[in-house]
Amino acid sequence: MGLILIRVSPRKPKKGETVKLSIVVRHPMEPGTRRDDEGKLIPAKYINELEVTQNGERVALVKPSRGVSANPLFAFKIKAEPGEITVTYKDTAGESGKKVYKLKVAE
Amino acid sequence: MNRRKFLKGTATLVALFGPSRWLVAGAQQSAQVPGVEEVQDLKNLGKSLKEVLGIGFDQLTPSEKVRINAPKIAESGANVPVEIEADLPPSEVKALHCFVDKNPFPHIFEASFGPKAAATYFATRIRIAETAPIRAVLVTKDGKYLLASHVTRVTVGGCG
Repeated sequence: MGLILIRVSPRKPKKGETVKLSIVVRHPMEPGTRRDDEGKLIPAKYINELEVTQNGERVALVKPSRGVSANPLFAFKIKAEPGEITVTYKDTAGESGKKVYKLKVAE
Repeated sequence: MNRRKFLKGTATLVALFGPSRWLVAGAQQSAQVPGVEEVQDLKNLGKSLKEVLGIGFDQLTPSEKVRINAPKIAESGANVPVEIEADLPPSEVKALHCFVDKNPFPHIFEASFGPKAAATYFATRIRIAETAPIRAVLVTKDGKYLLASHVTRVTVGGCG
């Protein structure tokens, strides 16, 4: 579970250009305040840590709480350089996910 | 009533009520998005600030260096796009926190930046339970707490 989508815009950046890096994770982000059809509370289950690195160095570390929407989006700004962008996350149930994105840049 | 009188009367009516109706509509539109003070909940927010940051609301400094980019009116509170940016290099930022005054759990997220961040910029989508201010609290490395507030009016809450 936990499909991770990664996108940079502009899609084919020039080297050194500042680009927007958008990440979407498929995750229910249950806040623990919602009730099911029988009126029982749905237990909380949300991503509580997401790390983004570029070529092994950190871009950002996000610690979301219950207030982040389902299938959350996280966007950052980075400088375009050839290499790998790695996204890893963990949720409150101990599940985790990882995705590596190869960033190509125009010289 | 003859025709001339009738037309004159109608014109007067339009002149009188037409524009004023537009004015009223305009006033209603701006009244739809209340000010920060009108919808804030400092008690609920304060509790969360103490829990997460260990400080009170009066220790936050409102600053124009921090900006929240979010819609004024959101149809659904379940998915409100929020963009936070600051005129400070990420290397001077210790952490960026987001709160919503009236949410049952006001603390929305914490973000910190590494050496590869090109700007103090973070965007996500958040839940808002009811019309309330969104707060961005930027903790600088020299120990300042900079605050930005933005009210989003929600028609359907996003926590139930």
